[in-house]
Amino acid sequence: MLFRDTFSIALRAINTNKSRSLLTMLGIIIGVGSVTLMTSIGQSAESLILDQVSTLGAKSMVIFPSSLEQSNGIDQRSGFDALTFEDLTALERLSTIETIAPVIFVSSDVTYGREESSPQILGSTPEFFENQSIAIQEGRLFDQSDEDGTRFVATIGPDVVKDLFGDQNPVGRSIKIKEQSFAVIGVTKAIGSQFFQNVDDRIYIPFSTAKVVSGQKYVSYMTMQATDDTDVAMEDIKLLLRKRHSIKNPEDDPQKDDFIVRTAAQATDILGTVSLVLTLFLSAIAGISLVVGGIGIMNIMLVAVSERTREIGLRKAVGARKRDILLQFLIEAMMLTLIGGLIGIISGLLFAFLIFAVASKFIGGYIFAVSIPATILAVVMATTVGLVFGIYPARRAAELNPIEALRYE
Amino acid sequence: MTSSHPLIELKHLHKSYFNGDMETPVLYDVNLVIHKGEFVSIMGPSGSGKSTLMHILGFLDTPTKGTFLLQGKSAGTMDDDALAAVRATRVSFVFQAFNLLPRTTVLQNVMLPLLYHPTIPDAERLARSQKAIDLVGLTERAQYLTNQLSGGQQQRVAIARALVTSPDIIFADEPTGNLDSASGGLVMATLQKLHKEGHTIILVTHERRTAEHAERIIHILDGKIQSDSKDFKRILAGTSSLLK
Repeated sequence: MLFRDTFSIALRAINTNKSRSLLTMLGIIIGVGSVTLMTSIGQSAESLILDQVSTLGAKSMVIFPSSLEQSNGIDQRSGFDALTFEDLTALERLSTIETIAPVIFVSSDVTYGREESSPQILGSTPEFFENQSIAIQEGRLFDQSDEDGTRFVATIGPDVVKDLFGDQNPVGRSIKIKEQSFAVIGVTKAIGSQFFQNVDDRIYIPFSTAKVVSGQKYVSYMTMQATDDTDVAMEDIKLLLRKRHSIKNPEDDPQKDDFIVRTAAQATDILGTVSLVLTLFLSAIAGISLVVGGIGIMNIMLVAVSERTREIGLRKAVGARKRDILLQFLIEAMMLTLIGGLIGIISGLLFAFLIFAVASKFIGGYIFAVSIPATILAVVMATTVGLVFGIYPARRAAELNPIEALRYE
Repeated sequence: MTSSHPLIELKHLHKSYFNGDMETPVLYDVNLVIHKGEFVSIMGPSGSGKSTLMHILGFLDTPTKGTFLLQGKSAGTMDDDALAAVRATRVSFVFQAFNLLPRTTVLQNVMLPLLYHPTIPDAERLARSQKAIDLVGLTERAQYLTNQLSGGQQQRVAIARALVTSPDIIFADEPTGNLDSASGGLVMATLQKLHKEGHTIILVTHERRTAEHAERIIHILDGKIQSDSKDFKRILAGTSSLLK
């Protein structure tokens, strides 16, 4: 029997029972659809991360205080006060660090007249803008003289402008942070989100001012640019801070440190791994639904075989060999899953696009991406499901005794 | 046309069905010779073994013991594929229940056996099918769906389907069993027409009236041939297929 004939018989059989075929395909459609959706989201997250690394620069580094709990029954310094101003002064002397920008978080609401907002308030030095590639859109960023003079000035993000000022130009106006008046001197350029934080909903004030306003005696975190190699810089920082904090940690066990040093590349790796694990996990769940869909296919093919027992008997009587019958039912099952798979891909991508459209409204910089290998894999998987779950019914059909099949009522 | 061997030759043929250790004999020491161009009726009550005999002759089943020669060649031991190949080329069937594909046109039904002859080109498939449909008088209805036809017409579609591969033997298993007498008569007339054109037809039935359309009637009872009215019928008909 020609393949072309087998093919058209399968199509006719699927077409004859349209609604049944569609219902059977539903499992595959959902399975392949979710695989496509999940991988598309995963791919988007990945491109997003890569995109952000390029805005931060490869030499970018961060130090966080790490809240240490009990270790060997002895309470160690815990909380977020591990990094002192003296640490900062010491770190600034390191030759492997080009620039360093300490950050103090000031927790406060911000008001302008009757309008109120609660953005993230960061007190930092002008180097911070450079380290984080933050640019100005209107007015100016605060500079070293603002820092040296402990001036009450603020550069605000575009989302804060929207919240407090609406359509008015904020530059030159005065906002209140912790009951203190700050002059708005500039608006930063919209960036969107960096590592899932909305950078546009921030207020930047000079570091020295933040110290005064918050009364904080420690640094919340520090961003920096390495002079050359981030790994070398990281070693220097670790050695220096361990010495200053009297931590003995020759094994380089991060559990023992009261700080964490991260390079942008590391952060990317971690986020990349998280997104990969998440994608794999979700795809595995989607894969399970493919298997469930496959069982549906097997079920309906068994029904088809028993419904068409007489047809099978007849085909055998007019000369069909076992393999002709086997192929006929196998192709039918595979066509079901293939068509279901294609519908699944289209609907999965539609959903992914919808999510993209919604998400890009909330977090800027969301990228719509399609994983071509995953899409091909989904089609191959669907067809394989058809093959695997179609083989049992097809064999049953092929093994039918022609005499009994012809008599079947 | 002449062949030194008869078309079918059965020698001491036995067929038993086994159910565990239990042996149920269905055919017992059957000896039979059928020549090309004969129109033979196999008659017997249900359970007599006539259907089993037809299945063996039609390569749907294999004998347990004995010799089955098709044009002098042993057809005793064949695997499934070899049996399928013989069914595709040398024999064909007309069933009591027509066994047409539903929701499918007459033409497609008739063309069906040719699907299993992949070497025949499309144009020839179509031409052969048209010819077979013409022969059973359904030219006008080639594009009808089979469920739009009467029972008699459906059975003639089945006959056309049996013809399309130009087989050596056409088996008709109670072809009029599901038909009223008028339609049944038309079907039998079609079969007789084919016989006159030289086709070998083996008819299985339990009705004497139907069986008498053939020139030779073989009675089967309890798995044995009771009588073979070959000589009588042939003399009566004034023709001898043996002399062909």
